[in-house]
Amino acid sequence: MNDMGSEVLGLETKGVSRRDFIKVCTTAAAAVGLPAWAGEKMAENVAKGRKPSVIWLHFQECTGCTESLLRTSHPDVGALILDLVSVDYHETLFAAAGRQIEEALEKALHENEGKFVLVVEGAIPEKDGGIYCQVGGKKAIDTLNAVAAKAGAIIAIGSCASWGGVPSAAPNPTGATGAPQILKGKTVVTLPGCPANPYNLLGTVLQYATFGTLPALDDLGRPKFAYGRVIHEDCQRRPHFDAGRFAQAFGDEGHRNGYCLYKLGCKGPQTHANCSLLDFCEVPGAWPVGIGHPCVGCTEQGVGFTVPIYTNLPVQNPTAPMAYPAIHPDHTVLGKSALAVGVGSAVVGAIVGAGVVATRKISADSEKTEGKE
Amino acid sequence: MRISRRDLLKGAAVAGATTALAGTASAREAVEPRPQAVGMLFDATLCVGCRACQSACKRANKLPVDLETGETGGQYDAPRDLNSSTKNVIKAVEAANGPTYMKQQCMHCVDPSCVSVCMMGALHKEGEGKKKLPGERAGSGIVVYDKNTCVGCRYCQIGCAFNVPKFEWFDAFPLIVKCELCRHRADPKQEGLLSIANPACCEVCPREAVVYGRREELLAEAKRRIAASPARYQQHVYGEKEGGGTQVLYLAPAGVSFTQLGLPELPDRSQASFSESVSHAPYLHGVTPVALYLGMAALIARNRKREEAAEHREEGK
Amino acid sequence: MSAHDHPKAIGGSLLDRSMLVLLALFGVAAVVMAYRFFAGVGPVSNMTDGFTWGIWEPVNVVVFTGIGAGAYSVGLLCYLLNKGQYHGLVRPAVLVGAIAYTLGGSSIMIALGRYWNSYLLPWIPWWNLSSALLEVAICVIVYVTVLWIEVLPSILDGAAASRSPRWAAIGKTWGPRLAKAMPYIIALAILLPTMHQSSLGGLMLIAGPKIHPLWHTALLPTLFLVSCLSMGFGAVVALVTILNLTWNAKHDPKLFADMSKVNAGMLLFYVVLRVADVVWSGKLRFLALDFPTLLFVAELALFLAPALMFLSPRVQRNKGRMFGAALLAVAAGAAYRVDAYLTMYRPAGWTADGKPIAAGWNYWPSLGETIVTVGMAAVGVALFIFVSRKFPVVVVEDVRDEHTHVGSGPAKAAASR
Repeated sequence: MNDMGSEVLGLETKGVSRRDFIKVCTTAAAAVGLPAWAGEKMAENVAKGRKPSVIWLHFQECTGCTESLLRTSHPDVGALILDLVSVDYHETLFAAAGRQIEEALEKALHENEGKFVLVVEGAIPEKDGGIYCQVGGKKAIDTLNAVAAKAGAIIAIGSCASWGGVPSAAPNPTGATGAPQILKGKTVVTLPGCPANPYNLLGTVLQYATFGTLPALDDLGRPKFAYGRVIHEDCQRRPHFDAGRFAQAFGDEGHRNGYCLYKLGCKGPQTHANCSLLDFCEVPGAWPVGIGHPCVGCTEQGVGFTVPIYTNLPVQNPTAPMAYPAIHPDHTVLGKSALAVGVGSAVVGAIVGAGVVATRKISADSEKTEGKE
Repeated sequence: MRISRRDLLKGAAVAGATTALAGTASAREAVEPRPQAVGMLFDATLCVGCRACQSACKRANKLPVDLETGETGGQYDAPRDLNSSTKNVIKAVEAANGPTYMKQQCMHCVDPSCVSVCMMGALHKEGEGKKKLPGERAGSGIVVYDKNTCVGCRYCQIGCAFNVPKFEWFDAFPLIVKCELCRHRADPKQEGLLSIANPACCEVCPREAVVYGRREELLAEAKRRIAASPARYQQHVYGEKEGGGTQVLYLAPAGVSFTQLGLPELPDRSQASFSESVSHAPYLHGVTPVALYLGMAALIARNRKREEAAEHREEGK
Repeated sequence: MSAHDHPKAIGGSLLDRSMLVLLALFGVAAVVMAYRFFAGVGPVSNMTDGFTWGIWEPVNVVVFTGIGAGAYSVGLLCYLLNKGQYHGLVRPAVLVGAIAYTLGGSSIMIALGRYWNSYLLPWIPWWNLSSALLEVAICVIVYVTVLWIEVLPSILDGAAASRSPRWAAIGKTWGPRLAKAMPYIIALAILLPTMHQSSLGGLMLIAGPKIHPLWHTALLPTLFLVSCLSMGFGAVVALVTILNLTWNAKHDPKLFADMSKVNAGMLLFYVVLRVADVVWSGKLRFLALDFPTLLFVAELALFLAPALMFLSPRVQRNKGRMFGAALLAVAAGAAYRVDAYLTMYRPAGWTADGKPIAAGWNYWPSLGETIVTVGMAAVGVALFIFVSRKFPVVVVEDVRDEHTHVGSGPAKAAASR
């Protein structure tokens, strides 16, 4: 009983203890916003062999999302996730190739119809009938539509699958599109990021496997637990922003002192993601702002790969800096326009001058007539 | 024909009749705080300047941001003062031992100048105006704004000793903007105070530096705090008497005066009471103008008849 | 000289060079005003939440109507004190009044933020009777109407003399009818300015702590009333002197001397009131070597100078000196009004010893504001020229009676009443 999880999975042989295993499940559960017991329940379910079937489709992408999933450590989340779930089709990870692997896909579709989790990685080209990405002679768009029709849940991992990502950057020659736009009317969980944080995937998948539900999503299909707030709101450099301390250039004193990177083009104020809260692959500080580079906004459509990297954006939900107005703040208008002052004075001067001149002249004329009389 | 002294005196008597009566007529009575009036108590010794109230106010009242670009290029919602997008602002005054923070918003005066001067009662005490907004209930003493009777004359800005009402200068269809004590957040289903108002600033304050309640109770609480720690406070509750009293009360730390916090020194008599007494007195409830009119009309008619008679005589010659 | 000289339309070219200049000035102002309706008051003015009335209220309304109070002052003399010899001055004074008040009212409409709601003002159930501004607004609206009714006799006289039979008929029927109603209208024309000119001072009572103690007093309404009379008398003398030089209007030095003695009384009365009030209410302590005191003394000097001049025979004999003194009387009233409304107004108030509390606000009229004020004044002058050229307003010297006997009888009587 004690070794339930690891025995069934044979994890011990991979150097993963039961304790680590439970820990990962609990972390994943916590990431989705579930209580600790949910993590244990997940572990139990996995131990009983009820592993969710996962079909993983690759389209226009760099495989970075898969790579980052595999590169996790402390413990090896890559190994865990592959053992926690039953990956029935994954082009990168499968030893098989050609017809053999396509048959595996058909088999998995048939066996787990309506139950399996479809993970989409990469954008789908739409231009020219979708001919720019084909696997085994089948167009990406057709494969996606066919598999999605039978899936129990659909997750788009990475920015490419979520909204087009790098392949959709201008001029977007292939008409690269995200999965939600292709699969209109279906619930597609999107986990944008370049790459996406593996824990966000793990949490979502395990919640689905354990409870049959999906986490709460925003209107772009993003789980609120991970994408509910912009990076700026939880950024570790935020106090510098509030105090008005900004790195002015790479390598300057402020930059070396860890000041806010907003001025260098940080997209944090408009980018929804939990990078600042959940370490990437459990490596502390392993994200752009953590290493001294402004956030590039990779998760945010319209920001990442669209706005130049070193251009900064207005702040959504701005809050005040740590400086206070005086009791009687400055509202002066004087001195803003010398012309106004000049014209105003000229008008007054003209009126006074005209009065004086007229009075003198009339007086003089009047005296003359007086004299005549 | 020269103007005789008698004529001059006669003219002066008529023309000056209105103003001469000013001293004799009785003054307008002072307005007492309504027994159920609500308000806020701000304790400047507790405020840490976190500005949660400032942000909460903007959210609760759906006010636009007031972007300010800092020296370093960052942009903030950092209002410098009350303005058309800010009904509540935290300011700071540098004192001997660090800054003291000051919260500024409408004082909801007991006898407000703005209400006294508003031509058609666009600004009025809740439930006491001639035209009521939906859901108004008398007794809260909240000064509310009805944009439908406001002509935008801005006399309220002239009258307010605290410079609270603000005007949307850069709008073709401007409004007067000021705190209405989050009357719109009141919950009629609730019992007690929350059914009257529910100020967002008081709700979010992490140190209860600003609290909402009935004015009477707040006043008692303020006095209790002063009595409990006399060394901590100025021995005075601002707003108990100033300008006829306000429904938002202030406590200042010992060592920082209320004037330093931007609260003007005001006499106990409200400006409204003074101004109305002086300007109403000569009218004697409308008797003076009517009497003057009738008298003058009669005089002019008589003068004309006399003159016509004189003309006839001339023509007859 | 008879008290019944007859006014006459001046005639002449309507679009001469000075008229074109005036209209051009107004044209520029009209552009600014139009822009204000699209962009709001802020973009064209330097008005802020601190100096919320800028110059449009203190100058366009308070000073313009002070000048327009000529109609009130002459009316008082002529009708109430029954000094028939002033009849010749009534029409020009009333016309200036009608124009000045109309311009004041129009300026208000431009300054009002929510002008479209002002149609509600006549709705009595919503009136806030404690608002001095409401009283001013209602009084001014009614008074503008009354003033233009007072101008009507000139128009009807003009109509009666018209070659078109229809116009002549209108003039001949309505002239006498109006003449009958005139006493009641004139009584109103005297009552209304008494009320609102004092209320204009009363407006600033509420701003107690914001006005310097030397200016803020319970006598504000009285002082405004007295200063409007002195401004009015001065304005009439100045106006008729100018008309005399340009259009050869009748200029009776004796009459002016008499009227100016009354004005001297007004000016001295003002000075006595002002000084007595300061002494009485213990405000002498605010006198120091500073700007407020300097301004206070300068104001008093401005009131005293014309008063003394008016009383001096040397000045009384000389048309030009009288003119200068009259201008000074107008300037005194204008200065007092602008000071009470603007110069001595501080948003954060004054300290107990009369020093301004630095509130971070200051003010100087923007180009747009100045242009609007100048344009308004220009169109006022233009209107006066237009009406006087077209209709019998001004009494002209050395004109034999038979020339102008066109509107004799009832219409003439109405005009002079």
